[in-house]
Amino acid sequence: MTRVSRWGRRGAALGIAGLMLAAAGCAQATTPESGGGGGAGGAIDENAPVTITIGDRPTPDKPNDIKAFEQKIKDFTATHPNITVKSTETKWEAQTFQAQVAGGTLPTVMNISFTEPANMIPNKQLPDITDELKLVDLTKDLNPDVLKIVQDADGRIYGVPIDVFSVGLAYNRALFKQAGLDPDKPPTSWDEVRQYAKQIAEKTGKAGYAQLTTNNTGGWMLTTMTYSMGGSVESQDGKKSTFNDAPTKKALQLLKDMRWTDNSMGSNFLYNQEEIRQDFAAGKIGMVLQAPDAYDMSVKNFGMKPADYGHGALPQDGGPHGTLTGGSLKMISPKATKNEVVAALKWIKFDQFDKYTTEALAVQDAKTTIADKGFVGRPGITPLSQETYDRYNKWREPYVNVPVKQFQGYVDSTKALKLLPEPPNKGQEVYSLLDPVVQQVLTKKDADIDKLLSDAASKVDARLAR
Amino acid sequence: MFQQRPQKPRRSGAHSWATWYRSGGLSSVVFVLPLVLTFLYFSWGPIVRGLVLSFQKNNLVQPPEWVGLANFSYVLTDPQLPQAAVNTLYFAFLALIFGFPVPLFLAVFVSELRRTGWLYNMLSYLPAVVPPVAAILLWKFFYDPSGTGVFNTILGWFGIGPFAWLNSQSLAMPAIVLEATWAGAGATSIIYLAALTGVRTELYEAAELDGAGIWRRIWHVTLPQIRGIILIMMLLQLIGTFQVFTEPFLFTGGGPNNATTTILLLIYRYAFINGDFGAATALSVLLAGVLCLLSVVYHFVTRRWSTT
Repeated sequence: MTRVSRWGRRGAALGIAGLMLAAAGCAQATTPESGGGGGAGGAIDENAPVTITIGDRPTPDKPNDIKAFEQKIKDFTATHPNITVKSTETKWEAQTFQAQVAGGTLPTVMNISFTEPANMIPNKQLPDITDELKLVDLTKDLNPDVLKIVQDADGRIYGVPIDVFSVGLAYNRALFKQAGLDPDKPPTSWDEVRQYAKQIAEKTGKAGYAQLTTNNTGGWMLTTMTYSMGGSVESQDGKKSTFNDAPTKKALQLLKDMRWTDNSMGSNFLYNQEEIRQDFAAGKIGMVLQAPDAYDMSVKNFGMKPADYGHGALPQDGGPHGTLTGGSLKMISPKATKNEVVAALKWIKFDQFDKYTTEALAVQDAKTTIADKGFVGRPGITPLSQETYDRYNKWREPYVNVPVKQFQGYVDSTKALKLLPEPPNKGQEVYSLLDPVVQQVLTKKDADIDKLLSDAASKVDARLAR
Repeated sequence: MFQQRPQKPRRSGAHSWATWYRSGGLSSVVFVLPLVLTFLYFSWGPIVRGLVLSFQKNNLVQPPEWVGLANFSYVLTDPQLPQAAVNTLYFAFLALIFGFPVPLFLAVFVSELRRTGWLYNMLSYLPAVVPPVAAILLWKFFYDPSGTGVFNTILGWFGIGPFAWLNSQSLAMPAIVLEATWAGAGATSIIYLAALTGVRTELYEAAELDGAGIWRRIWHVTLPQIRGIILIMMLLQLIGTFQVFTEPFLFTGGGPNNATTTILLLIYRYAFINGDFGAATALSVLLAGVLCLLSVVYHFVTRRWSTT
């Protein structure tokens, strides 16, 4: 037997096996079609028996949370006897979420980040729940500024925002004191930031100001700075980049000056979120752009003294322009039927919104949080109307265990600054293309800002067009 | 001829089928079938699925849409691809220059130590026991760019540095290769050591009688005797380095300025940041194609030196 014929036979066998598998693959690939269409048709019957699965069940290391969680489910099903509730520990993580969506293993309801809907809505990975929201009487409670994050161009709604924050300036009060700065007066303009950073670096030898740069956070924070200088990153319809103009250039020039002229930004220019919080908590950084939830990780995981933590407004340049918002929302699986969507929304209302209007629930929530070493009273932005939120905070006042006064600058800014959503189209992709721009400015002394931005703009425009 | 032809196979066929059945052929098929099917499904299933995906626009929720070669033309015209390809080649090149001789040297060195060999053996293998993620985080700590970082402090004693390490566009890749070499050398040298035990000792004795020193023995006896393994290891290393991901992902996230963005990092971004599985699989298929081609070329180029 010759070589060729032997290989020929093996090749044929492999080919047949391959064809069989290809057929299997095709069959598999078409299954989402039947599942995806599930939510489309059918009249809503609020009393029909229905089963929903909810994610974000607390992990076993938080026994009190689990107890409260299960009690809540019991209370809910007692008042909604036709709804059966199952739960899983599935929760959102940036690195694995797309795989979960792709795997079709999502529960009916779970928390996801504000970064997701911008891509998921056009991809049809979220169901349109506008009509169902009206049915369960939830729309009127929601803060319309925040709601924009889960709406498409026609104003249809695809998720329920539950937890909102905006970016501000986290600063180390101890380093401020060492540098002779007043820890109760964080900078509110970028000129002040530059001056304070220089002073901190000179007096303490630590980085006066540090910038996030990797895993898309470089683009994220450049966008935040651009907003604070009156610019934008994408056009309203999300079809063109708009960052190749004065505000973004100003932001980059500021970073360049702080890095190379003042030398006030330390030596590490490859920071992701966790690393920068770690160095901030360790007292190596004076100021950094963060949302107030940085407090939790800095204090709980990295042992920062609560007394050293301060949070001010997002510094502005030339008039209040606004700040970038983020947060989390409840998403509903695109495979859910109409009845499941309604049941899910009823659960969300019961789980997330009733505590804002019922004193006993607000207090109970505060108590379980404290029992699990969590934080009560860390400032944020309300997904509801301001007066509801203020009343809710009053109920919880006796349980507050966060030094709220040290957040005063931030709290004031939440009322004064406009909340600007993240770029409407392919936000994370745009961020990832802007990362190297920020990195270059910080690591290459002769970086040409104009050229960097025009190159990045052409790359971004090509992506937005795909 | 023409008359005989249809008859002959039938007769011999019937005969061999019967023989085959009597000698337990059926039970062996029944025995082996689940294994073969499992292997095909889990080993080749994903490959075929990937191939199918690369021709689709598919976010795995909506029904897939066939787009022909659009994914391929998209990834091939992506302005980031040339740089990622150059970075990947650069990594492979550095790993070949620095990473390849180290384990070989280590193995020859350890095999020369008769009594304490086990100790060095263990010491050289130990890095392989450290989980990659832990090792990388540890090295990241060593590479602290400030003057008080571990490496910068040590170099400072000799009046060198401080270096920006991962924060420098030119140093980042060599720094990553250094860690990868450290992490991979032990496991590779174990394989060389195993090959070295197969070298016939009388060859060394003969060489010694002829007055050959240690270097000449290594050059004329050891290396020629294990060249088959060396050739295979080089191919495996080439394929491995073309698929480098963990190190740049955890060390630098592809930065600074995309200096460490490799092909696999690009694939990862397509899939898990952009949610563009079509583009991700298209680039994967292209990479797999290049690696297959590389293996074939390598096979023909090195056939002359191969021991078999």
